[in-house]
Amino acid sequence: MTSQDKIMSMAAAIERYVKDGDTVYIGGFISHDPFAAVHEIIRQKKRNLTLSKCGGLIILDQLIGAGCASKVVTSYIWNPIPRPAHAFIRALREEGPERVQLEEYPILALTLSYFAGALDLPYVATKTIMGADFARYRSFLGEEKLKIETSPFTGEKVCLIPPLKHDVGIIQVHRADMQGNAQTWGFLGDTKWGLLSCKKIIVCAEEIVSEETVLRDPQRTLLPGFRVDAVVAEPWGSHPSYLMGCYDLDWLYLAFYERETRTADAFERYLDDWVYGLKDRGEYIEKLGAEKLAGLKVKSWTGEPVSYGFTPFHQEL
Amino acid sequence: MERSAYSPLEMMIVAASRLIADGMVLMVGTQWPIVSALLARKTHAPGAAICFEGGTVLGSAPSRIPLFTGDPVTGSCACMMGDSLDTLGAVLHAGFADLAIISGANVDRFGNINTTCIGDYHRPKQRFGGSGGAGDFGSLARRLVVVVEHNRVRFPERVDYITTPGYLQGRGSREAAGFRAGTGPWAVVTTLGLFRFDENGEMVLAAIYAGGSAEEVRDNVQWDLRVAEDLETLPPPDEETLRLLREEIDPLGIYLRNARATDKPYF
Repeated sequence: MTSQDKIMSMAAAIERYVKDGDTVYIGGFISHDPFAAVHEIIRQKKRNLTLSKCGGLIILDQLIGAGCASKVVTSYIWNPIPRPAHAFIRALREEGPERVQLEEYPILALTLSYFAGALDLPYVATKTIMGADFARYRSFLGEEKLKIETSPFTGEKVCLIPPLKHDVGIIQVHRADMQGNAQTWGFLGDTKWGLLSCKKIIVCAEEIVSEETVLRDPQRTLLPGFRVDAVVAEPWGSHPSYLMGCYDLDWLYLAFYERETRTADAFERYLDDWVYGLKDRGEYIEKLGAEKLAGLKVKSWTGEPVSYGFTPFHQEL
Repeated sequence: MERSAYSPLEMMIVAASRLIADGMVLMVGTQWPIVSALLARKTHAPGAAICFEGGTVLGSAPSRIPLFTGDPVTGSCACMMGDSLDTLGAVLHAGFADLAIISGANVDRFGNINTTCIGDYHRPKQRFGGSGGAGDFGSLARRLVVVVEHNRVRFPERVDYITTPGYLQGRGSREAAGFRAGTGPWAVVTTLGLFRFDENGEMVLAAIYAGGSAEEVRDNVQWDLRVAEDLETLPPPDEETLRLLREEIDPLGIYLRNARATDKPYF
């Protein structure tokens, strides 16, 4: 594959890299949530996905409500305003095959399972959650969720957490180049480790930049291009989540979503209006309108540029 | 000062902030802990380090109050933005947090906290969001402080799901489960009073507020609550603390008056 081939439309990226039955990592942690990609997954009616996301919030609520997921691994699914995530709660109460199987870990434990996946470690030994009900209540991971064992080094009890690996991962970032080098900053949570534990990665970027831009500030790179399979140019792709320095969280939209999705019928209407009825993110942005977008644009808050300077070889060398 | 001069929520926030000492490294959860920690930094603990589960460490006061720990405003007042392994890992798991402070839905006799569900886990009567970082806070923190609004429903004898492990079925059971010695709940602060934990890991009413009574608190928990022999009455907030809280920390009343505009039409 040449680097040119990585640039594609959202529809093409989801079509090519997200398959029914896949284990899918959704990156972001209130910020960076890839809503544009998730709406395309819903439009393409992907089914039987195992969704994995530390801060599940309403992005998982939408995927669950749309019927894309049969299994979910998460630490938290709620609307941060804060109100319930209604589709998620309905799915837990559902009878029969529509019911979603839920596996819960707290944030550190789940991030460690991603970390183990990213490094291909057999497991991580930790002192978290050994006595909480995460060990008692197990869903589809069963015995593979965690094990309490004795440390061969100290003799103390340890909680062993196995690697969680994903078929594909998706993230919204500030910028990426055509090689797939993906640069971002802000509130990252588990995102780096979740992505690195994925076989394939789709990067959705606010803008596609030159390789030169990446080379000028390599410390901003979250993912090296060789780990990235698809690059999608998708401005405003995180709305109603946020990207630091670009646009703010749309608090009132989160509240609107909460009010509009309290029943299954209302949720379907929401999807018709905001997902199925729209061709792509461009139409979504149009629907939001210029006034809303202007209100979300953040004021600039920049730091001093950093130098990556070096000395040329000394003459005597 | 008369009790009517400040709200029970304000008293709770102030009582929680007083548990924070200057120079402490704090792991801070969402909701009341944000306000309590910011108040402590504005008053008696300017050098306390505030760490959030997503990887942020605050370096200065935010220009507006964060709505949750991942609020974009934190980007302009943080001295570090790392990821969850930096704060939950290299701060909390590594033992560098002096105090961890969270909110929660229900708290039981042994300080176990439930933010997952009411009723049977598989067919919950009521479902909440789940742990977030709370399960790790309770597993690992040397001093866990829980800040919750008080009513009888919130204080069952045993919680239906242990999201945040306290002393489980008693202090010995916590160590038997394998948690590190010296970790566990340290105080519970509510709108009615302040609780500590005895040698068995059982919650004991340690202090009430001006105008309150031990009977009022006992009526608002679902077990036979023990009351400390030397029960204290905590002093009310002073004028300057209330001014800072209302005018500088939360002038819009987002926490103090629940003014979050969640019913405002979008279009």
